Amino acid sequence: MKSRALGGKVLLGNEAMAWGIIEGGATVVASYPGTPASEIMETVRKIKDESGLKIHAEWSINEKVAFEVALANSYLGMRSAVMMKQVGLNVALDPLMSSAYTGVKGGFVLIAADDPGPYSSQTEQDSRYLATFAKIPVFDPSSPREAKEMVKRAFDLSEQYEIPVMVRPTTWVCHARQGVELDRRNGGNGVPSFKKDPQRWAATPRFRYLLHKELNRKVREIASENNPQPIATPEGAELAVIASGVPYAYAHDVVKAMGWEERIALYKVDIPFPLGTEIDELIQLYPQILILEEPHSVIECQIQCRKKVRGRLDSTVPSEGELTPDIVARAIGAFLGQMVKDIPEPPAAGKKPSLCPGCPHRAAFWAIRKAFPNGIYTSDIGCYTLGLNLKAVDTCLCMGASISQAAGLYHSFKQAGGKIPPIVATIGDSTFFHAGIPALMNSVHQGACFVLLILDNGIVAMTGGQPTPAWPGPGKKMEIEKLAQGCGVEFIRVVDPYDVPLLIDLLKQADRYVRKEEKGVAVIITRHPCLIYGVRDERRKEGEIVITKECDLCGLCTERFECPALQEGPEGRPVISQVLCANCGVCLYVCPHGAIARR
Amino acid sequence: MDLQMVIVGVGGEGIIFLTRVLTEGFYRSGHSVISTETHGMAMRGGSVISQVKVGNYMSPMIRHGEADMLLGTSEAEVQRSLPFLKEDATVIMNAKVRGDHCVDATGIARGLGNPRGGNVVLLGFALARLAPAVALDPFLEAIEDLSPEKFRLANVEALKAGWREGLKTVNGEEIQG
Repeated sequence: MKSRALGGKVLLGNEAMAWGIIEGGATVVASYPGTPASEIMETVRKIKDESGLKIHAEWSINEKVAFEVALANSYLGMRSAVMMKQVGLNVALDPLMSSAYTGVKGGFVLIAADDPGPYSSQTEQDSRYLATFAKIPVFDPSSPREAKEMVKRAFDLSEQYEIPVMVRPTTWVCHARQGVELDRRNGGNGVPSFKKDPQRWAATPRFRYLLHKELNRKVREIASENNPQPIATPEGAELAVIASGVPYAYAHDVVKAMGWEERIALYKVDIPFPLGTEIDELIQLYPQILILEEPHSVIECQIQCRKKVRGRLDSTVPSEGELTPDIVARAIGAFLGQMVKDIPEPPAAGKKPSLCPGCPHRAAFWAIRKAFPNGIYTSDIGCYTLGLNLKAVDTCLCMGASISQAAGLYHSFKQAGGKIPPIVATIGDSTFFHAGIPALMNSVHQGACFVLLILDNGIVAMTGGQPTPAWPGPGKKMEIEKLAQGCGVEFIRVVDPYDVPLLIDLLKQADRYVRKEEKGVAVIITRHPCLIYGVRDERRKEGEIVITKECDLCGLCTERFECPALQEGPEGRPVISQVLCANCGVCLYVCPHGAIARR
Repeated sequence: MDLQMVIVGVGGEGIIFLTRVLTEGFYRSGHSVISTETHGMAMRGGSVISQVKVGNYMSPMIRHGEADMLLGTSEAEVQRSLPFLKEDATVIMNAKVRGDHCVDATGIARGLGNPRGGNVVLLGFALARLAPAVALDPFLEAIEDLSPEKFRLANVEALKAGWREGLKTVNGEEIQG
């Protein structure tokens, strides 16, 4: 394919990595949305649409499926990429582990984005550990510019050793922005061809042993060429800092800002695993060693000689939370006997997020609380986790767990023989597709009885509005009702949650079905498009919603319903912000005094 | 040029858009620039923070006590972020009262018939405070390119209006017509 100079462009780290995938020549790319990784696939699809490149770029149903789809392309000698957030890699761990053994033909790059902090995740886990667990190399970029280059290097390394390669950015690479040079648009070369090799692609345990041996050989070879890169090695340095990822960038800037250039040796690690043995020789050269990496201690754990090494393992650097330039400055300063000013106490918690004005989920949660004030509410991963604010979410574990946990609660109460409380699970449409279906089949098959609300806003909203399998695609659209039916559910109702009285009535019917008649799982699909990404709601044109003089300042609407458009005005009087109000009218059902009305 | 800037507000106000315009504008002015923005759950009305560093920096994060400028859409968010500031830093805030560091950006935007354009006015006001080290044109180009078609003209006008307002007074003195 022809190359064309494009020059520099300001790009988000995720956009830069998308360009790395394009320039690297991937022909099959798959992903499931999740912060902080979502914009990588969005950008790949945008570039594809604008340029007409021949790439299959799919939002897969979940990360495991995405991984396997992309991997097959690499079996055929073509380049492939798969992108996800760190907890998504937990879902794709099965194919990751096995593909390290089978290896690949065409370059295979796995981008797993970590979220130290965490900002938008249920854990601060370090995906680099999963690279060491699977025995595959992992790149650790420190900036958007470097992330793009590392994606391309990862393709080359993957092909050279026929091994999957991970690129592991963190939030402040994914969501940092800087000028990035774009060089070529390369849609990929070659023709896919499958060479049958059952001892590799379909290896039985006996051959797996041999593949493992081969994998170990690859890892040893890669390690032998991979050592920390000296950035600055001043004579008589008092401390050597060995760093990777964004903490490297912090260390670089801090040493300069504090004027420590003559006192600190600085080493950069591009590939934290597998590390060569030079690092053990290197640490003999300095009186003290500080390792800076996040979120955990992958480099630190590979160092044999531990006497002089300090880092997160011994809490010289905090063992949890993200690193910041302040923490890095203090950690380095302590070795130099230089006090760096204390980090100020974190400010009072800021404004917490809430469901948008007019969000259909808020209506659903309000109805659930009304129908079952004493229920147990299992929920799931998405915008609707914010149902917490309405006290209609009691648990949130991981993708799909709302359904299996509701079943578990039922079995627990049922075994004990006492009264079973209302058990209400809520799950979004995309999460239902992702991991809810096996859980629902299992619940029905095991005879669990609970109410399940599938909150169907028609989109993956939390991560920026990605499509779901219910959208028209190259193939067929999936229908939630039919899927629920296929899972064996017999009670299925569909309702617009804005119709709160009808929803409450259906919830009560479902409760009779579940608890009185003990017939199994009752599914209610609350269907209304997301107001941010969906079709504009026509209700905006109806009369404005206002607070009337019947209001007795009880505070129920502002505190319990917590719509951002319902604000506390002068003298504790609620007022409706007409700028924010979506005119959904759900609050009309909320006020016990009928003091909210449509003008 | 060496400038470290913090932008604070709540999700949904367009803080990411302001950050993009700033980054793009500084880049087009020929500076080395790196910035960060908040994505994910906080975008649903929670506190969000962006950082922009112009100059020879590798990392996009600002140390406490090092920011030259803080741009905030409300007093509550500005208060929380004061530890980022240097002693002589500039704070620019959207507020109903007019002052050295406060501008009624929402009021000006409303005057332009663009009630949601307050934050772009605020940005123009802040940029004017960086003149003459900063020129408006690269930022006008940036906002033209980054705005959706529908809001392009309104955003350009709002940025210009904020810039004019910012040039009007520094320390209470009229510095330019």
